[in-house]
Amino acid sequence: MAESNIRWYILFANYEQGLHLLDLLRQDGIKARIAPAPRAIQGELSCGMSILLEPEHLEAARACIEKHNAPHHAIVPLEGQIKSKRDRYC
Amino acid sequence: MIYLDNAATTMFKPQQVIDAVVSAMSSMGNASRGAHGSALQASRTVYDTRCKLAKLFGCKSPDHVIFTCNSTEALNIAITGAIPHGSHVISTDLEHNSVLRPLYRLEEEQNVKLSFVPADQQGRIDYDDFEKLITPETSAIVCTHASNLLGTMVDLVRVGQIAKKHGLLLIVDASQTAGAAPIDMEAMNIDILCFTGHKGLMGPQGTGGLCVRDGLTIRPFKVGGSGIQSYNKHQPVEFPSCLEAGTLNGHGIAGLSAALDYLNEVTVDAIAAKEHALMERFYKGVSAIEGVKVYGDFSQPRTAIVTLNIRDYDSAMVSDALSEDYGIATRAGAHCAPRLHQALGTTAQGAVRFSISWFNTEEEIDQAIRAIEELAQED
Repeated sequence: MAESNIRWYILFANYEQGLHLLDLLRQDGIKARIAPAPRAIQGELSCGMSILLEPEHLEAARACIEKHNAPHHAIVPLEGQIKSKRDRYC
Repeated sequence: MIYLDNAATTMFKPQQVIDAVVSAMSSMGNASRGAHGSALQASRTVYDTRCKLAKLFGCKSPDHVIFTCNSTEALNIAITGAIPHGSHVISTDLEHNSVLRPLYRLEEEQNVKLSFVPADQQGRIDYDDFEKLITPETSAIVCTHASNLLGTMVDLVRVGQIAKKHGLLLIVDASQTAGAAPIDMEAMNIDILCFTGHKGLMGPQGTGGLCVRDGLTIRPFKVGGSGIQSYNKHQPVEFPSCLEAGTLNGHGIAGLSAALDYLNEVTVDAIAAKEHALMERFYKGVSAIEGVKVYGDFSQPRTAIVTLNIRDYDSAMVSDALSEDYGIATRAGAHCAPRLHQALGTTAQGAVRFSISWFNTEEEIDQAIRAIEELAQED
């Protein structure tokens, strides 16, 4: 797994848990965004949303989760397969 | 945004639908509750909408059109209320979880036996399999009119003939076809047709229902206020009250009524033709791209869905890139269709679904093709 391309995904049992944590992360000023949960790491959850973090925000996100005891399923690293090509197209 | 997730919900609605909901929000009383002007207006709106739906679907009696909040609720009412305990039911690998989970619950709780007509790796079914699976205990066939994953349509005339020949109940999930393809309960021998209002019908979310053949009895899924027969300890037995408890989504039904008027103006045939032309355009564009795998058999009748993968890319990452980099809304993952993903061999990767509506344009389709071309380019 190439270190430079690793992204961290927070997985949830449902959208409500995910949206709640996103609110908490934003309150704490932690950069994150919603993304579809990749199939490769969904396990038994299947489908749904995840919160996508860049590696530099991982520890702050973990601390936020612990501080608020925020429900989540797992935090999982995954190598990004697609590099943004927006500038070549739009 | 280019919205190509219309199999989930048609996000763009006719303006008259929006206007009807807004108007109802400030003028509508509670249907079947009282006889003052605003209550009667609500009752009239609900009744008129039943009539429009009955006409659209070939349901003989408008009072056998039951309103629910979506297809899933309608399917739960039909499946749990009409299938005898301990009997055998035939369904297919094409089904959505809105059919599968109620059936699995019957299997666990009411000793109902299930058999599934298998789909091949192109998502096709063999109609002979329905008859092969029939046993003396078989009571019903429950099947979709079109797969929400691939768009593959089921020949309901043929399935209806099998059901009629063997005296089986035919319950149909029309979530993907109501408003997008012609449906005739009589010609198709459908006993219970379950539909949603917010997809092809282009009405508001929170609307849907079921149309029930005359003479069929369905045990109520829920009981409660009906606005009539208040001293009766039981739910009234007359249609539609027997299957509708509590206040209806009158504001949503007002929007659905306007959507049905719009549909009547433009016609289902015209909608199906335009959506099919856009789907063909997209299919031809993406199927020629190296590294793109398109699923399904495009030589057979289908709704306007194209489902694909790019190389070995995780479908969620492709859908995310389409959304973030190109502003194109699609749906990745398993699409609540586990049996069909298993048949296609896509459980690990999932797939990216593009679903087209009446409001999409050729320019949007061409932009989506160019986005797929670019994502499929190897670095």
